[in-house]
Amino acid sequence: MNRRTALGFGFLAPALLVVILFFLAPVVLTVFFAFTNMSTSTGIRGGEYLLNQSILRSIPEDAISTETRNTLENAGYQVNDQGLAKLAETVSPATADELRSLHGGARFDSRRDMERALKDLRENRIRSTRDRKAAADLFNTSILNTRYNTEDAFRAALAGTNVPVGDHDALTSFAYTGWSWTTENMKLLFSLDSSYRYAANTALYVALTLAFNVGFGLFLAISTFYLPPVLASTFRTIWFLPRILPPVLYVLMWKWFTWDTGFLATMTGYLGIAPRNWMLDTATNAWVFVVLINGCVGASLGMILFSSAIKAIPTSMLYASEVDGASRWQQVRYIILPQLRWPILFTTSYQTLSLLTSFEYILLSTEGGPGRATEVWALAAYHTALSNYGGNLQYGLGAAYALILVVIGIIASLLYLRFFNFKELVSKPRIEQ
Amino acid sequence: MRIELKNFTKTFGELTVIDRLNLTVESGEMIALLGPSGCGKSTTLFTICGIHRMNGGSLHFGDRDVSDLPSQKRNVGVVFQNYALYPHMSIRDNIAFPLKVQKEDAATIARKVDEIAELVHIPELLERKPAQLSGGQQQRVALARALVRKPDVLLLDEPLANLDAKLRLEMRSEIRRIQLETGITAILVTHDQIEAMSMCDRIALMKGGKIVQLDKPDEMYANPADQFVAGFLGNPPISFVDASVVGDTFVLGAGEIAVSANLMGRVPSQLQLGVRPEYFGPQFGSGVAGKITFVETQGRENLYDVTLQNGTVIRSIQPSGQSFALGDQVSWGIDTDNVLAFSANGDRI
Ligand SMILES: Nc1ncnc2c1ncn2[C@@H]1O[C@H](COP(=O)(O)OP(=O)(O)OP(=O)(O)O)[C@@H](O)[C@H]1O
Ligand SMILES: [Mg+2]
Repeated sequence: MNRRTALGFGFLAPALLVVILFFLAPVVLTVFFAFTNMSTSTGIRGGEYLLNQSILRSIPEDAISTETRNTLENAGYQVNDQGLAKLAETVSPATADELRSLHGGARFDSRRDMERALKDLRENRIRSTRDRKAAADLFNTSILNTRYNTEDAFRAALAGTNVPVGDHDALTSFAYTGWSWTTENMKLLFSLDSSYRYAANTALYVALTLAFNVGFGLFLAISTFYLPPVLASTFRTIWFLPRILPPVLYVLMWKWFTWDTGFLATMTGYLGIAPRNWMLDTATNAWVFVVLINGCVGASLGMILFSSAIKAIPTSMLYASEVDGASRWQQVRYIILPQLRWPILFTTSYQTLSLLTSFEYILLSTEGGPGRATEVWALAAYHTALSNYGGNLQYGLGAAYALILVVIGIIASLLYLRFFNFKELVSKPRIEQ
Repeated sequence: MRIELKNFTKTFGELTVIDRLNLTVESGEMIALLGPSGCGKSTTLFTICGIHRMNGGSLHFGDRDVSDLPSQKRNVGVVFQNYALYPHMSIRDNIAFPLKVQKEDAATIARKVDEIAELVHIPELLERKPAQLSGGQQQRVALARALVRKPDVLLLDEPLANLDAKLRLEMRSEIRRIQLETGITAILVTHDQIEAMSMCDRIALMKGGKIVQLDKPDEMYANPADQFVAGFLGNPPISFVDASVVGDTFVLGAGEIAVSANLMGRVPSQLQLGVRPEYFGPQFGSGVAGKITFVETQGRENLYDVTLQNGTVIRSIQPSGQSFALGDQVSWGIDTDNVLAFSANGDRI
């Protein structure tokens, strides 16, 4: 590397760092999470080993033998040296000796039986029930309900039971409570009906919002172009407000507007229509408002882009079209629109990508409702991974949702790059003289 | 078609750019609007084609009052300084545009486009895009587009300003040829007097939103209405010399010349004389003495600046091959018959 390239890299370093940190890392992490079963219950760090009744029950029938099952469930209690040593330590050696002489080597199926055996003590009574229970636990030979921090500890405990060695591996894997690698998320995604529903919602959302954005942005740009300058810039400023307003405030205004005691309900109330929440009343209403809320934000960007593109058209060209006999409409149709081709394509592609991944305005307005009518893919990812009503946040599944978007986004960007030939787009002025 | 502007007034806000201008262009005539930058030539042109609205006065094309018609309805062809071709259309579509917006059928459009392309000599360029043409070719396309729907008037706003010197010469005669062939009434806006003189039947010389003189080029050159006109026309330009009248001679800073017969008795005692460079030189005798302070060789001719004792400079143009050099003291004569006399306020005497 010569000095010049080194210098170049030096200057680029901060940018590269930012790219790696804020672009590459999230993508890599998304891929990583998408192939794990991480959730609130597994944690994200790795986990303990635990068997209990419910885990045992969830183990498929043929994964372990019935004998293993019985052994684990009915391991019960045994008055053995190990337990007696512990008893001697926690209560007193005398108690231990007495129990050995009474029940040494005896087996009991349940804790109750074990406790009853402890009641047999005469010289060294254990008086409180609590102490007796604690003492009974000392003789528990079952590994159920015990948490083991490492696999080795769990396997050692297993070895101390009569469980057949052949089932040890299977039990170890079922006992693991932490996250593990899996492709289940993807399979689940493609098998869920709701996924297809969300995909369809997303397509609808992107298509409608995009159409509104570009169409309305164009309309605003062209109509303000023909207005006197002062009026035009006032209009443009007004239409730019949604974009500079904080989303929470902006959506709150829409909510006020559509609440059942809001502006719309009050106005329609005069017409004798029963007050209702106009935004969440029906799925159609929700869609209308989702598109309007997002569209007004997007349209302002389109308007600015298109306006400046129109201003870049030399006035003499517009004059020429007028003396050539073109009406306003023909001027728009034949002179202005063709020259907006690149801005329109750019806005369309850019907004497709950003709409695919954006959900904040939907989250703030309908939250995907009513029902799941306006739940789009990105919102589903958010709900699954970060805001689940059930309380169990499924990071892995959520990341799988997100991964699909990442893949679509990358493919779309590559297609755009090819299709628009961005190199040509930036190297040549689009308005040729 | 005859164009008649009557009492045309144009204001931009407070600023009155054109004040009660009158101009008549006869049918089939080509007229030049000539004047310094900012005098209102483009404004006048844009008003005739309807891009600007008049603030006062009237405009007639033939018998038709078009004062209040939008430009779409005026049937004018305009060639803009930057040609204003539509970059996204092929040359064919550019030329066809005025017909297309009138919804003529495709066959007619194709035929007319081919005809006009033939006229302006660009039939082989029709399938290209404007960006693929040279300046001169774009110029021809702009002309074709302006002419294709047989407009009543053709307006040209500095059509040659963006061309290089050689192309400018070529397009000068081309535009004139096409105008004569089509017989169209045309107005050419220019600030180049040579363009105006060589291409047009008459010149309207403008200054500060008014027409100072409207005349045939040679007439305007020989008989300027005032000092401004005399100074504007001619290259190299006319020289002005302060003079006083003593008896029947003009006394200049360094010399004397006789008062010509046509001026005799009509001149005030103090005045300014306009001497064109071709009327000052050794062939007219001697009497005006000075020093050669500048020599410019132009090939066929040489240009000399002669500085008189009082600092006044008189230009002279001479056939080349003479032996005058920078710094020479000379005493040359002036052709008194062709001296122009102006009063102190610039009026022609
Ligand atoms: N849209 C406008 N608003 C205000 N003033 C204008 C406008 N257009 C032209 N003017 C003024 O009107 C005057 C005449 O302008 P015009 O363009 O007609 O000049 P011109 O003779 O064509 O000059 P040039 O040779 O430089 O093109 C100028 O002083 C100019 O500043
Ligand atoms: Mg001009």
